[in-house]
Amino acid sequence: MTVRSESLFSGDLLPWIYTLAWILAILFGLMLLVNAPFGDALSGFMAGAFGGRRWAYLMATLSRATLIIGMALSVMISFRAGLFNIGGEGQLVAGGLVSALVAILLPGPPLLVLAVAILAGMAAGALWALLAGVLYIYVGVPLLVGSLLLNFPIRYIASYLVAHPFRDVQSGMVQSHLVPEGTWLAYFPGVRLDVGILFIVATSIFAIVYSHTTLHGYRARLNGLSADFARAVGLPVTRLTLQTLATSGAIAGLVGAIAVFGIHHRYIDGMLVQPLYAWTGIITVLLVGMIPWLVPFSGFFFAAIQTGAAGMERSAGVPKDIALVMQAVIILFVASRVSGAILSSQNKAKGGDDGA
Amino acid sequence: MHAALKDIRVTFGPLIAVDSVSISIGAGEVHAVVGENGAGKSTLMNVLFGLIRPDAGSIEIDGKQRNWTSAQDAIRAGLGMVHQHFMLQEQMTVLENIVLCGEPVNRFGFVDFKGARKKLAEGFKEHGITIDLDATVSDLAVGQRQVVEILKMLYRDARLLILDEPTAVLTPQEKDRLFGILRSFARSGRSIIIITHKLDEVVEIADRVSVMRGGKLISTGPLKDTSKDRIAREIIGGDLPPPIKPLARAPGETVLSVKGLVVKSRDTSVGPLSFDVRAGEIVGIAGVSGNGQAELIQALAGLRSITSGEIALSGNRIDRLDVAARRRAGQSYIPEDRQRVGLALGATVAENANAGRDDVSGFVRGPFLNRPAMARYARAIIDRYRIKVGSASALASTMSGGNKQKLVVGRELTRETPLVIAENPTWGVDIGAIELIHAELVRMRDAGHAVLLVSTELDEILRLSDRILVMYSGSLSDEIAAADADRNRIGALMTSRADAALRNVA
Repeated sequence: MTVRSESLFSGDLLPWIYTLAWILAILFGLMLLVNAPFGDALSGFMAGAFGGRRWAYLMATLSRATLIIGMALSVMISFRAGLFNIGGEGQLVAGGLVSALVAILLPGPPLLVLAVAILAGMAAGALWALLAGVLYIYVGVPLLVGSLLLNFPIRYIASYLVAHPFRDVQSGMVQSHLVPEGTWLAYFPGVRLDVGILFIVATSIFAIVYSHTTLHGYRARLNGLSADFARAVGLPVTRLTLQTLATSGAIAGLVGAIAVFGIHHRYIDGMLVQPLYAWTGIITVLLVGMIPWLVPFSGFFFAAIQTGAAGMERSAGVPKDIALVMQAVIILFVASRVSGAILSSQNKAKGGDDGA
Repeated sequence: MHAALKDIRVTFGPLIAVDSVSISIGAGEVHAVVGENGAGKSTLMNVLFGLIRPDAGSIEIDGKQRNWTSAQDAIRAGLGMVHQHFMLQEQMTVLENIVLCGEPVNRFGFVDFKGARKKLAEGFKEHGITIDLDATVSDLAVGQRQVVEILKMLYRDARLLILDEPTAVLTPQEKDRLFGILRSFARSGRSIIIITHKLDEVVEIADRVSVMRGGKLISTGPLKDTSKDRIAREIIGGDLPPPIKPLARAPGETVLSVKGLVVKSRDTSVGPLSFDVRAGEIVGIAGVSGNGQAELIQALAGLRSITSGEIALSGNRIDRLDVAARRRAGQSYIPEDRQRVGLALGATVAENANAGRDDVSGFVRGPFLNRPAMARYARAIIDRYRIKVGSASALASTMSGGNKQKLVVGRELTRETPLVIAENPTWGVDIGAIELIHAELVRMRDAGHAVLLVSTELDEILRLSDRILVMYSGSLSDEIAAADADRNRIGALMTSRADAALRNVA
């Protein structure tokens, strides 16, 4: 069976066209407000997102998209199972921190160290997510609250570790030492894009296959559609919850490791938190209504908005905040669509047969 | 008020929900609209009430053509609707609920509760209603909540009332009270439309009857020109199946044994309860909803932990096992709430049909799903239980209520477990589905399965059960053999403690 039209895209296209028209109108209004040269801004935006010498900016967009899509997949796996794990940020930091420290401290052949470090980062992300799961199941802390609050301790633990015991004092910054050069992820020939994106391509394939064709993905989705139903038909809900959270956290941890070995080559305080990768990941998933195969496109879209905005600022002098305001507007529209979809799914007076 | 629907047509995608239906409702008339679930009667009423815009056709109120843009328009024009699921704010008082959205405001901008009380008191007197306006809704019994819903209509002086399945959750006594109020409303010139499945009630209260089937109007006319039999035939489009015959065979060994079971929830305590269900019998537990049946069922199904007592299935203790282990030990559970518990509406029919199958190897290959095998399994249930649905890959939410319930029943009974727990298995479904589900439960019994039937529908209990227990306020009455079952005695037990009730009857 193929991918079914699930929620947001199942209905008519008209609301989406309206939404797009609104967004364009608001964008136009903002441009007028700051008195921006319209053509320059647009070409600056396009060049900033997709152009550059030897496609440098396109590579920057892809690099950012890698991390955003990775986080989005982590979010999607848990959200589809009805588990609102919004602690992706903490799991991302745990993964980045642990993988960097392992690579710095562990002697051995670089490739082996890299492999161990990535696995350790994934394990750290998984454990951090499991902590939220254990609090949820055995202590009764709502997952939304527990996973969110667990973002803070790991952020401060990471700040402390790279500010004190593992700080690269000479650099003068709050950051760890560099990981051994042999462990750095290679660039694709001729461009500044590391092979980390391949991990995320593989993860995307895994996530799509998992969601649509595996027993575990099927059960997790039933749990997501109705937790009462899953319990009543005897699905192993506790195990399902913990396994799904661990998978979700492991993907976040992997993203942290890719950021370390592909981009920064060390752990810098705030490097995973300030760009809001985890939160952009959540929006990425909600924009496409948790439909797996659309997630990579949606993630690329958000990455392009962010890098394009920077390009617009450089070349046309239009403040990049305009694009960020646009992103916020899109988020508001998505939020209203999502709550609308949730409301209409509760109104079960739905007729017609859109299956088959 | 005189209302007329003319040539109304409503389509949902390829489905024609209402096909050129014309109905008129006269002033002071009680008009019953009957038909199976999915026959289009709720859709038609939603059109009248402004919740759905028809694709074609017109609405006339007192001879003037009207065009609703929302239910608010209809309400302003004097229409009122009581939905099957009550729309009340649990934490607010009766009075607050009644005036909600139509609050009388004094000149300082405060809500004028005093004026509202006065206005309501007149209505109370006229229609013989008694209720404590200061009670919190969450403390009220279901029957009283219904009265609150009706008072909302009265307070807004609705001239046309639409009631969707108003008696589904009421005891016989509460139903009599409701009908009394409705008759009084009709005498005061209000028009009443009542959507129902229960023909006895139609015959009891209606002046006119309209029968719908498959989106079409089959007949409409005065009650005196038709008969119960004829209406029933029109509803199902054929003859009624024969009544169910009780089994003339002694039941077998004990399958389910409950001893001293106590279940505590936040503010109620249920039990201690003790009873057995043996192979080849149906034990019915009657009672008004909210008297501990939900707690008992959840404890048996493994969804709620117990405080003390024992539950044994075929001689083995199961009270510490989880849901999956209990199901493997040999029980099936047909839950009351098919929308949330019985089905995952956002999943396909096939995905729903295969959930909870004991032997996963029937539909997986390694870690992957075997979709064709899942579809085959679902197809077998669809055919066996005559479920009307486009295909096994249609979403469960696209089926009508009766078909959803048949899918739940089919999925659970196909497991052929020694014990079947059925909780209001025919709640809100049409006659055709009721007949099929009843026949299947009886077939299970005749094949030697033990069936525990918990139902708030007294007729269902009386029709199917070999032994009857009545649940009231968290405890069970003594057992009543089906042969000695008497409506009035059971009705009394449903509303008061056993000793008091027996005295009342004697």
